Amino acid sequence: MNISINRRRFIQSTSAIALGAMSCGAGRALAQPSNELRVSVYGGDVGKANVEAYVKPFEAETGIKVTAIPDDVTLPQIELMVTSNNTTVDVVGASSALAHTANLKSLLEQIDYSIFKKDELDAILDFAKKPFGVAGLVYGIPMVYSTEKFPPTGPQPTSWADFWDVEKFPGVRTLETGQGGEEGPWEEALLADGVAADKIYPMDIDRVFASLDKIKPHIRKWWTSGSEGQQLFHDKAVDIGNCYDGRAILLIDQGAPLKINRNQSKLTNDYWVIPKGSPNVQNAQKFIEFATRADRQAAFAKLVPYGPINRNAFKLLPEEVGLKLPSHPKLLANSIVMDTQWYTEVGSGGKTNIERLQERWNEWVI
Amino acid sequence: MKMFFQKLGRMPTVLTMPAFAVLLVVFGMPIILLFLSSLNAPVFSLVNYQAFFGQPANIRVLYQTAEISAVATAICLVIGYPAAYLMVAASKRLRTTLIVLVIIPYLTSGLVRTYAWVVILGDRGLINNLLLDLGLISSPLPLIYSRIALYIGMVHIMLPLMILPLISVMMGIDRSLMAAGRSMGARPFDTFWRIFFPLSIPGVRSGCLLVFVICLGFYITPAALGGIGDAMLSTFIASQVQTSFNMARVSAAAFVLLGLAVVVLSIFGLDLSGTQGRTAQSTRNSWRSRPFDLMKRRVSELLTPLRAKRWKAQLYRAGSDSRWSNIVGTVFVVLVMFYLLLPELLVVIMSFSAGSFLEFPPPGLSLQWYRSFFGDPSWYDAAWISIKIGVVVAILSTIVGTLAAYGINRTLPRLRSFLTLVILTPITFPVIVVGIAAYLGLLKLGLLGSMTGIVLAHSIGAIGYVVVIVAATLANFDPRLEQAAKSMRAGPLQTFVRVTLPLIRPGIIGGAVFAFLSSFDEIVVTSLVGGLAIRTLPLKMWEGIRHQIDPTIAAVASLMILVPVFGLIVLYLSGLRPSPAGKRALPDVAA
Repeated sequence: MNISINRRRFIQSTSAIALGAMSCGAGRALAQPSNELRVSVYGGDVGKANVEAYVKPFEAETGIKVTAIPDDVTLPQIELMVTSNNTTVDVVGASSALAHTANLKSLLEQIDYSIFKKDELDAILDFAKKPFGVAGLVYGIPMVYSTEKFPPTGPQPTSWADFWDVEKFPGVRTLETGQGGEEGPWEEALLADGVAADKIYPMDIDRVFASLDKIKPHIRKWWTSGSEGQQLFHDKAVDIGNCYDGRAILLIDQGAPLKINRNQSKLTNDYWVIPKGSPNVQNAQKFIEFATRADRQAAFAKLVPYGPINRNAFKLLPEEVGLKLPSHPKLLANSIVMDTQWYTEVGSGGKTNIERLQERWNEWVI
Repeated sequence: MKMFFQKLGRMPTVLTMPAFAVLLVVFGMPIILLFLSSLNAPVFSLVNYQAFFGQPANIRVLYQTAEISAVATAICLVIGYPAAYLMVAASKRLRTTLIVLVIIPYLTSGLVRTYAWVVILGDRGLINNLLLDLGLISSPLPLIYSRIALYIGMVHIMLPLMILPLISVMMGIDRSLMAAGRSMGARPFDTFWRIFFPLSIPGVRSGCLLVFVICLGFYITPAALGGIGDAMLSTFIASQVQTSFNMARVSAAAFVLLGLAVVVLSIFGLDLSGTQGRTAQSTRNSWRSRPFDLMKRRVSELLTPLRAKRWKAQLYRAGSDSRWSNIVGTVFVVLVMFYLLLPELLVVIMSFSAGSFLEFPPPGLSLQWYRSFFGDPSWYDAAWISIKIGVVVAILSTIVGTLAAYGINRTLPRLRSFLTLVILTPITFPVIVVGIAAYLGLLKLGLLGSMTGIVLAHSIGAIGYVVVIVAATLANFDPRLEQAAKSMRAGPLQTFVRVTLPLIRPGIIGGAVFAFLSSFDEIVVTSLVGGLAIRTLPLKMWEGIRHQIDPTIAAVASLMILVPVFGLIVLYLSGLRPSPAGKRALPDVAA
């Protein structure tokens, strides 16, 4: 263990040297108290909702001028910014894996929980509060199936064991690709193989792939993005699969003959994080505290169907809206919250579990 | 001043200096550092390369990457060569129109084009719906998510890059040579195979080189259209960068990819210039080596005077027997154009959709996505920024790249291959690694997040396009024309401007167009060096792509298509004859 960590540190430090050598001469103004904030909020519907629910009200309340960057920020961007002392964004909306990996590489500021009000802090879901970031939204990756293929008159799949049962539920299948290492069909494979929901982590990677071997011949496509998953169901190219819940809800709202099975749905979340060297750290802390309040979370969920991380937000939402959201207490009980902590753990060989899964997947999928 | 130019004329390698200066500053130093880190400097070990080759998956995917790229290149050549040949043979006006039509798909972002193929090949896509409606099939054919679909999409994206270098070389071939061959009794096929084809080899080489090298770096198209196992190395590298960003390991993989390019290119030859003589030689040798061919040749030679007579007779007869070949040729060109433009047509139709996401056929018609473009300053601001950057990149890299191509052409053959490879490195490398290198380079210059920085970062790739295309045109250029000019007391500069430049103009125009387009569609490098401060059009298009595709991009793509079409209409109406042929110095016998 010790050796492996040292090797990893060593590799990191060599690349840091390479970066450091390049960064000479790029002088940076020191951070000073400011009245500004730069937040990356994603593009599309989520980006617009972030601006309406958080950015504008925050500006109104604090008088701080916020520049919303409608883009995804990636790991290389954060690492290059931080290691070259050139951080140009204060708050980043980051996927769970990105946040954990960036934290592992010491690229993130710690969250100042002392500025949170107690009742708000207590209402925030436990898995949403990390030292390096607070979750901004929760999304599910549930099972979705065609009601034309599996009509209510006959048997309908209710678990991943059913999904693996190709005799009882014949049909063309899709699952999310595992090429990213983190989000992949791992949990589904274990649940189908009979692992109890609370015994998934730490994952037995051999068992994951043994289970995936059985379903592989029935998979038409490993989808790689939300829009692709949506396309597959829209085109009726598949009968059953997993899919981001937001995408599936959109299709169902448009009249597609689909049903979401929330039982054994996988849940994950995005985080608000602060890259090190942010020139407006204090404002960034204030923004994150603001964005996780119950009323703001409810306002956001009204705009796009993503789950609030603040339990009190559901009190401000009509029940029929709340029940569509993956973090609703009733749905939460039957869901599996992805353990990103486990994913980013460094195991034997100096690799994170994400990297181990990724390598194994690349080997397996061709 | 005159002295200076005379000196320049004698030391051609000097002309490559500006190109290498840009490359070195923006890209070279950081790439060397990345190479060192892939070797675990300062300890120096091969551990990262061992780790790479220790994984059988990597080796298989490396092989698969080479295979897919090679097949895609071969298909591009098989379709592109006859298409270019027929286009060059067409009248000037028709040719210009066809060239614009070939370029149009390139104006549409790769993302949109790939998406259009999903719409065409999908289970509920255009083809399957058509066949279902006609009752020819009862359930959809599995067209999409297969190797075939992958090739259809890749060739569609790469074909213009094959056709344009071919055209620029073919237009420089003096058709009177073929007429001379025919007049001496050569059969039509022989005149093609023994005169035209060897002369067009530089175009074939540079087209294949560009297509192959760029295919190596593909990863969006394989993911969207390919079958379950159709991963390419860049897919692996890109997802590695996203999940762990271990610089040493990522650079090792990138250098392996570069190594693959070097191996393949050294088999087929990197030397873009001055090879036509050798090729002709080898063809002749192969003729001689086989006894049967030898006999056939003897018999054929007996008939030579007869054919020569007949050719002369045909020359003065109206309506020759080439009608059939004309029809076949026309049908072929029409089919190629249909293949190139069908996705564009769908994109235009989808841009008028009343639905909330891209679909075909659209559920209803509306202008909502155009309103979304013109109603949102961030869209047209982004478009304007991209156009500005693209124009500057095109100007800079065309000047620098043309000089470099000229210098490379005149330098020692051994040095030539090496210099070409160095200039092509930014195109061969996985784009994410180019982005990281450019970031490190621009950081040192303090140009991150500036327009100048983005222009420089785009230029390192664009220069490569210009060099390859211009070098191909230069290969057929007869240096004796320059000597003739000089013998008549023209200075080197004057010779270049009045003799060389007009002759290689098709290549320069082609290079400039691709320099602009490569900048206009660039996303990965821009997102890194833009420092989240400058929003170009592709960045704007990719916003939120993780969750959904904003149909406004179809409206943007349609507007982009309008630009060249409008330009063409203006050209026609003003009666201003475009002359991309640049054949002023030669008699026009092409028509």
